Amino acid sequence: MTVPQRVVVVGGGLAGFGAVQELRRRGYAGRLTLVDPQGVPYDRPPLSKEYLDGTLPADKLPFAPEAWFGENDVDLVVDAATCLDASGARVELAGGQALDADAVVLATGGRPRALSVPGGDAEGLLYLRTRADADRLRSSLVPGHRLVIVGAGLIGAEVAATASRFGADVTLIDPVEIPGVPAFGQAIARELHAMHAEHGVKTLLGVTTAIGRTASEWVVSLDEGTARGGGEVAADTVLISIGIVPHVELAAAAGLDVEGGVLVDAGQRSSNPAVWVVGDGARRRLPDGTLLRRHEHWEPALHSGQTAAAAILGQELPVHPTPWMWSDRYGVHVEGVGSMVDGHAIVRERDGRPWVVFQVDDDHRLLGAASIDGGMAIRAVRRMIDRGLAVDPAALADPSVDLKKLAK
Amino acid sequence: MSDAILVGHVGDIEDEEALVVPRADTGYGDDIAVFFSAGKYRAIDDTCTHEKASLAEGWIEGDEVECPIHSAKFSLCTGAALCLPASVGVRTHLVEVRGDELWLHPGVPALTAEEGS
Repeated sequence: MTVPQRVVVVGGGLAGFGAVQELRRRGYAGRLTLVDPQGVPYDRPPLSKEYLDGTLPADKLPFAPEAWFGENDVDLVVDAATCLDASGARVELAGGQALDADAVVLATGGRPRALSVPGGDAEGLLYLRTRADADRLRSSLVPGHRLVIVGAGLIGAEVAATASRFGADVTLIDPVEIPGVPAFGQAIARELHAMHAEHGVKTLLGVTTAIGRTASEWVVSLDEGTARGGGEVAADTVLISIGIVPHVELAAAAGLDVEGGVLVDAGQRSSNPAVWVVGDGARRRLPDGTLLRRHEHWEPALHSGQTAAAAILGQELPVHPTPWMWSDRYGVHVEGVGSMVDGHAIVRERDGRPWVVFQVDDDHRLLGAASIDGGMAIRAVRRMIDRGLAVDPAALADPSVDLKKLAK
Repeated sequence: MSDAILVGHVGDIEDEEALVVPRADTGYGDDIAVFFSAGKYRAIDDTCTHEKASLAEGWIEGDEVECPIHSAKFSLCTGAALCLPASVGVRTHLVEVRGDELWLHPGVPALTAEEGS
């Protein structure tokens, strides 16, 4: 395989920037162009937390300062890609320019999912995906401001925590009684969910059925009656945080295989050999045709960009550790690694509360773990999973046992 | 540049552990973390360059420390940021072993491998 001489990366989120950074780190010396209408690539987890609340200034958001691009001979093109040529070798931009390439990396991510109910697409409803979205949402962070958040997943929960600190009157709506169980397991998800009420955030169980607008306020309707706390909720601001829809339009129009994401192989290569796809929009297809779930967390996005860089250069693909994720809310730091769905749970307590929950299989091999303020435990479990270690369940549950020593 | 200060003795820091020397004791602008890993004593700024977190509380293994919060990794030898979310490195500080005493030179960069060997 010949190493390309012109690589164009479309999209400057973590996956796209990660691909660019890794191409240079791996010695790629050809032309390298990164296209993003938002300019200098920046990190997004702070948008629901430290950037939203103002403690992280805007100039701390970028992955690297603008000078980095010059120093690393990367052309940063501030424009939107409008078309990928069917050959996969040309990217057309909204500004009229066209970029020719030997290899294209699509890192276009996704857009917030719209609520498919009457009024769900109304002008003025807020979403949170970009820095501009966070800037708009920030005006809701004032005492007494009625903020209704539809969807109590990671972003909804984090924004609720941030807004509650400013004294906003926050209501979280979700059809699931305890959100986050697939990510954190029952015990930890329950602890996390209880924090909303402890911090004055109302949680409503129900399916949002309509969003209306009077002259002065939003009205969010739920399917559950008032006996369950539902009915109608009035709001000054409504944030819709019910997940994302991957951007597949460029890929689909160029004839790439698409099914709930752009399909890629182990090296993030799409059905067009000149096009790699990384980040939230990519979906892995195994050699036997099985489709895996798309990843939407931070670290898998970075890893996918790094993998694509290696693949583009014809180098051995990096081996990444077991997927890991985090969330910060109400002053606690939550982490999860591996699967919290498979196996059975073993709980390590602290102060009588679940602290680390491990998932193990019948042979006591670690499959996953989640913890509130237990980052070192999660790092230990991650290595146990990567090494296929089986561990005595009693040792896992015993808070006096050093997990790092068990991971050796 | 501050004078060297005695921060402990050989054996005080367990393998793959670290101690923190508060800035009040050093006059240096950040707390300094002194690590014992891979058979060596090494010191870097304690605060992760990504967000506020103590690297001494991180996952220490070989020549690297992984931030306990968002898993940015730093080289204990050079202070370099090895992966996102950090892109700015931390400063290294010279640790000198005099007999069984550990002397920290706050603000004096650690010797590189070439200089040290």
